Amino acid sequence: MTALSVRNLNVWYGDKHTLNDVSVEIPLRRITCIIGPSGCGKSTLLKALNRLLDLNDQVKVSGQVRLDDVNIYDPGVDVTEVRTRVGLLAQKPFPLPMSIFDNVAYGPRIHGRHNGKVHALVQEQLQAVGLWDEVADRLKAPATSLSVGQQQRLCLARTLSVEPEIVLCDESTASLDPISARGIEGLLCALKDKYTVVLVTHDIDQARRLADHVIFMWLGEVVESAPAGQFFGQPKEELTQAYLAREIG
Amino acid sequence: MNRKQRRRLQEAFFVGIMRTSLAGACLVLGTILAVITVRGVGALSWEMVSQPPESGFYLGGGGGILNAILGSLALATGATLLAMALAVPLALFMHTYLRSGRIANGIRLVLDVMWGIPSIVYGAFGFALMVFMGLRASLLAGVLTLALVVLPILARTFDEVLMMSPKDLREATLSLGATRLEYLGVLLRQALPGLITALLLAFGRGIGDAASVLFTAGYTDALPQSLTRPVASLPLAIFYQLSTPFPEVQARAYASALVLTILILVVSLLAQLSARRLGKHVIR
Repeated sequence: MTALSVRNLNVWYGDKHTLNDVSVEIPLRRITCIIGPSGCGKSTLLKALNRLLDLNDQVKVSGQVRLDDVNIYDPGVDVTEVRTRVGLLAQKPFPLPMSIFDNVAYGPRIHGRHNGKVHALVQEQLQAVGLWDEVADRLKAPATSLSVGQQQRLCLARTLSVEPEIVLCDESTASLDPISARGIEGLLCALKDKYTVVLVTHDIDQARRLADHVIFMWLGEVVESAPAGQFFGQPKEELTQAYLAREIG
Repeated sequence: MNRKQRRRLQEAFFVGIMRTSLAGACLVLGTILAVITVRGVGALSWEMVSQPPESGFYLGGGGGILNAILGSLALATGATLLAMALAVPLALFMHTYLRSGRIANGIRLVLDVMWGIPSIVYGAFGFALMVFMGLRASLLAGVLTLALVVLPILARTFDEVLMMSPKDLREATLSLGATRLEYLGVLLRQALPGLITALLLAFGRGIGDAASVLFTAGYTDALPQSLTRPVASLPLAIFYQLSTPFPEVQARAYASALVLTILILVVSLLAQLSARRLGKHVIR
């Protein structure tokens, strides 16, 4: 089963051709890791999956990203609906300028999904990311009063609070200490029963630990896309073999 | 002189320049405050701030400047609120829908030019407009003209505040499926302390401006009564009292200046307190 299907996707930042004819499938309820060296287009591909590239006026996109067999770049598609279904956990934790409680409640409130049970919903999401016990007595405190690791878990709770189907993670453990990073990794593993997770990482070891499926990118192109066992056990492409052997990158 | 000594000397030199600048700014402000306090404190009384002028006030008669205090507060508050109603949506629109495009930069240029225009020009423009429309000098005409003076200050200051808001805020909000309008609400929360500072700057400029209200708001010894009647203002009260040859009336001019300074100080303190309170969730 496929959650997202990318077909002949090309992205330009001004005159720079950043993604070159990318076609990949993102499997449903699995963790897909996009790996590759810095500047190869990993984050661009990730942000193309929920149209966050639209925020940059310089960006031009051609090709298709199909969600439920609908191209999300079709003119009639509601971009807010796409971003609700395909959430993002950014590289650096970035709480909204609100209290801990309101950070999680904000999404359900704007979508009218709380059915009058905001507190229960916030508690559920904070429990899901293992933060509830640490913040239950200070829900009205500013979100910035949390540690960086706690803030990233809060951001994950905020992302999950709008009930997305797919969670995009853009090197979401890169700015965390090793213990917090492992905590987020554990949460992502737990999420895959319910969500499709797409994780950009430059850390091959992290991809080995988490991935069910791997996409390897090089200079804006997809070199290899395969199930993790096959990708790490018997990579087909010479470039992939060299990258995994850390000879290039 | 070795490199280490040269670097120390460089630092000592530039710190010295900065300290001198700080001392210079404090000296100027301190001198102004000292002059108006020394010359005006003797004339300051409860009667002066609680009563309108009686007949012969400008010849040394009784009464006070309550007309000018209330008039200035009405003019500055009205103009700041009116300018805010235009400036806040304008700045938010520039940042959400126009962003750094040519149109936004064009608007910034227009606002910068408006900021540089002397307020007497706004006063003359307001007066010409009043004559054209057959209106008399009034609180309404003063508020409208003063709003034009403070509009660019408010809009450009708030614009700069929004420019300094973290770029990640946009992505964090919109990635939840928020509309751009909903993002504006979050941006406004982030920028609220900056908006209060911008309002304070606009209010400070508005309450201290004499030229734009000279022809448009007029002057009267009566307390403000309606939008269509003339109102007094503190800067003009200071001007008229200082223009007389009577030392006791001139002393009242300094006392009026002291009142104006205290008003701005109180508003500044209140604004700082509220900015601190409202800004506790701001991402820094």
